[in-house]
Amino acid sequence: MIYNPITALLVFLAGSLLCFFVFRPKNGIYTLLKNSYQQKGKTILEDVLKFLYHNQEASNSITTNDLTNSLNFSSTLIIDSINKMMESELIFLEKDTYKLTAKGNEYALQIIRAHRLWEKYLSEKTGFHKEEWHERAEKKEHELDTSEINKLAILLGNPKFDPHGDPIPTNSGRIAKKAGIPLSSFEVNCIGKIIHIEDEPKIIYNQILAENIHIYSTIRVIENNKKRVVFHSEGEVFVLPPIVAGNITISVLENSNVNEDNIARLSSLKLNETASIIGLSKECRGENRRRLLDLGFVKNSKVQIDLLNPLGEPKAYLIKGTTIALRKEQASKILIKNNGKQGE
Amino acid sequence: MEKLRKMNRKRINRIISLSEELRWKIGDDFHDNLTESIYADASKIVEDSVTYTNKKSRFRLDVNIDKIVTSKIWGFPIMLFILGVVLWLTIIGANYPSGLLSELLLDITHPILKNFGESVGLPWWLNGFLFDGVYLAVAWVIAVMLPPMAIFFPLFTLLEDFGYLPRVAFNMDTMFKKSGAHGKQALTMTMGFGCNAAGVIATRIIDSPRERLIAIITNNFSLCNGRWPTQILLATIFIGAVVPESYSSFVSLSAVIGIAVLGIFFMFFFSWALSKTMLKGEVSTFNLELPPYRRPVFWKTIYTSLIDRTLIVLWRAIVFAAPAGAVIWLISNIDVGNESIASWIIHALDGFGFLLGLNGVILLAYIVAIPANEIVIPTILMLTIMVTGISGGEGAGVMFELDSFNAMGDILKEGGWTLLTAVNVMLFSLLHNPCSTTIYTIYKETRSVKWTVVASVLPVIVGLIVTFLVAQIWRILL
Amino acid sequence: MESKANNTCDNCIHFNVGELKKLGIKTANFDFVVALAGNPNTGKSTVFNALTGLRQHTGNWPGKTVTRAEGAFEYQQQKFKLIDLPGTYSLLSTSNDEEVARNFILFGKPTVTVIVVDASRLERNLNLVLQILEITSSAVLCLNLMDEAGRNNIKIDTRTLSKDLGIPVIPTVARSQNGIPELIQTISELANGKIKCKRYNIKNIPNNIEKSVQVLSEEIEKEYPNISNSRWIAFRLLEGDTQIIEALENGEIA
Repeated sequence: MIYNPITALLVFLAGSLLCFFVFRPKNGIYTLLKNSYQQKGKTILEDVLKFLYHNQEASNSITTNDLTNSLNFSSTLIIDSINKMMESELIFLEKDTYKLTAKGNEYALQIIRAHRLWEKYLSEKTGFHKEEWHERAEKKEHELDTSEINKLAILLGNPKFDPHGDPIPTNSGRIAKKAGIPLSSFEVNCIGKIIHIEDEPKIIYNQILAENIHIYSTIRVIENNKKRVVFHSEGEVFVLPPIVAGNITISVLENSNVNEDNIARLSSLKLNETASIIGLSKECRGENRRRLLDLGFVKNSKVQIDLLNPLGEPKAYLIKGTTIALRKEQASKILIKNNGKQGE
Repeated sequence: MEKLRKMNRKRINRIISLSEELRWKIGDDFHDNLTESIYADASKIVEDSVTYTNKKSRFRLDVNIDKIVTSKIWGFPIMLFILGVVLWLTIIGANYPSGLLSELLLDITHPILKNFGESVGLPWWLNGFLFDGVYLAVAWVIAVMLPPMAIFFPLFTLLEDFGYLPRVAFNMDTMFKKSGAHGKQALTMTMGFGCNAAGVIATRIIDSPRERLIAIITNNFSLCNGRWPTQILLATIFIGAVVPESYSSFVSLSAVIGIAVLGIFFMFFFSWALSKTMLKGEVSTFNLELPPYRRPVFWKTIYTSLIDRTLIVLWRAIVFAAPAGAVIWLISNIDVGNESIASWIIHALDGFGFLLGLNGVILLAYIVAIPANEIVIPTILMLTIMVTGISGGEGAGVMFELDSFNAMGDILKEGGWTLLTAVNVMLFSLLHNPCSTTIYTIYKETRSVKWTVVASVLPVIVGLIVTFLVAQIWRILL
Repeated sequence: MESKANNTCDNCIHFNVGELKKLGIKTANFDFVVALAGNPNTGKSTVFNALTGLRQHTGNWPGKTVTRAEGAFEYQQQKFKLIDLPGTYSLLSTSNDEEVARNFILFGKPTVTVIVVDASRLERNLNLVLQILEITSSAVLCLNLMDEAGRNNIKIDTRTLSKDLGIPVIPTVARSQNGIPELIQTISELANGKIKCKRYNIKNIPNNIEKSVQVLSEEIEKEYPNISNSRWIAFRLLEGDTQIIEALENGEIA
């Protein structure tokens, strides 16, 4: 072949395109091949069980159509799987709707346990972004066997809740009941605590993430109508459309001695103001949380801004006699009581 | 014995299951509570025994220095000024001792050794292998590497001991955060301009696993002092010659700086790419303590930084350079058929080299010079003379350089070099695998074959792609 | 002991220079192991160098010594091996440095642990000190950087501090060797059992946790009567430290 720079470039481009199509992470030929070799049957079966379980909890009745429409597999595969499950007595049919047998219920809880434990693991021990936890757990839940799940639980200290606030079933299949009401139907001026943030559908979840709303934070609703829900939390004001607010669950705090108005985030502290730390938000997890505690960001510590940054971030804070620089997302997870301007 | 172990097991299992039960009861706040209690104790103890006679929370002078070095107006100019002074002192200051050393080790000692070898009756091949191969490579590395490192590291260490460097990390963090890295990477990167192996060791100051790996893998994009001379030489001979003489030194200097800046650009780009792909699952934390300023103990600092950084890195480089020198000598002196091994390899690589806008000599020089970038140019000169058969040089397997840039340029042009070759060698010198000292250091620091391979292969692939693209586009346009 | 009585006055704790030999890195055949722990950036490595005559590099940077450094010195014919542990803020987390430090103090069982703290930041440094004191009470507090504390107008009542912590407290300025003789003297006296330390237990722990810790540590003591730091092991078990569980299984602790 005679060399020509244009041919060489074209060959190179063709090669790169080919590599791209084979190895791209989503819908790449390599990934598709890898997935098709994995046992699809188990995944479908477990997804059907999970789907039935969640709907049973919400008292929805589920027909064959519901299943084929909601699950991301071909109808024939799903129907195949349903028949197999009826045979092995995991589910049964009652007036056109599917119900879980006791055995099926137990199986479903195991899958949910695996899913939520894995999410907890991702949140505590790895650096994956929140956005990814759910998707990764959706895959991993089908890969873990019972002994691995139990080992994971011990490693994490048998946690009771996953990072979204969902209860994790125990290995004997006990599960705490969900309580609380959706934020969208919360009354104005009531005080409550966010106990759950739903991670599905992804579009709404991402909207909640973008707002930096923290789980287990205390809130007070100041406006609630068909157009929007406005609430105070940790010294900030949040505005959400009702459909998004519906995916946040609140438990009512009867005791009104919780003075929500005094809480603020360290990121809102201004130069020359002093504050005392109330604690760390539950959103601050794993190694990050331990690090901040070790550095002295604990209850009752006094804190003030020591240095501003020429580029705005990170700011340096004076805590227990040492200057420590923190990025904004860290400072926003430290809760303080602002004591105002420093008296000279 | 077996029985004892079984008993032991039983007792332990009881304790462990008890602890798990209690853990479940306490919930996941244990760590928080424990730390809070410890700090509560601490503040009680401090109340008992510490008195502050002055309520000022921080030392006045510290506060004032900090206000200036992190101010909006002065922060960055001061930083650039200090960096400029350090690099200038290193490059200018190293010239003289470097020349002296190379005269001593290469021009004076080398012939003496060869004569000595002959006089004690060493066979020519042993004499050549030992003194032309091994000795020359080691001497070259010392002459080029030692002076800049002996200037750069103590200066850097003085700044470090004073406490200024954490402020640089503080100022720069936003820029690094955008590419998923830690502000302290600004310092390990700067350290890399001295020596990549030292830069990799310096990443210990980054205590977040993900950001530390990023800093290690991308450190090679900092142009180290083994590569600066190559850049300066080629820029002067080839790029400076393109423009009128009055501009030539300015243009060649800009070209060298341009390459270094390009390296920084690649560093940012790959930091970002790694943090979004391969490394996104690694734990990422941030903490940056700004310690009080302390007056450095001047002579002690100079001494320890010489011992700790300069000599250790130099020692490793020598250990790796010696075998490289041996290999270079051997492949140029062992014939297979009617040609030396080196010639065979060069001919085999010529086609691929042409595709990249390079040639077989350059590729072979980079392969055998993996241990030390310092010997790339001498090896290229030696091999060029060997293949073209022009007169000059010191003989097969004997690396050399000439005093005049022009004379070296003539040899290279004789070897078929064009402006494109020079530009691509400059690019490839920036974008190729780290030297073996650095590879070994990366392995020692990460204890992981995977990350060592990634850090070694990634820049080479980038280099191949970049030189290939430049060559094709150059040929299409010109 | 007699030779000491002959050489110096009986009671004075003045240090006898003639009896100190800095042995650098010759660490063979030692009588005692001394661990050097402390927060990052407290001049720990400077103390290490002052004791051993070595010149390990110390940067004004948190976290310079990552690997363990070893050195030795000889005092009154006894050889002390000194281990410089990585500087950490705490022993409770999972980072590599902390593991090295934690494991050495717990499993390496040093005769004496020297805890170096920054006198001008005592409160934050006490976090680590109190954790170490839960593991071992054979420790001495080296109150370093006293000159900086002085410049910041901080006064420390070392007697009260020593009483509160139950261990000897030695103020030093390691850069200029101030207080190092007294520190060596104290290390030697601790190693030879001439000074007795009092055990320190963390106090302000919430009731429900304190109860769990007590239950668990009593169980541990029942099974392993020789264990002196059952409370610390209880802490670690409640944190789910897998290394401790392994160590119990291998019998490394008992």
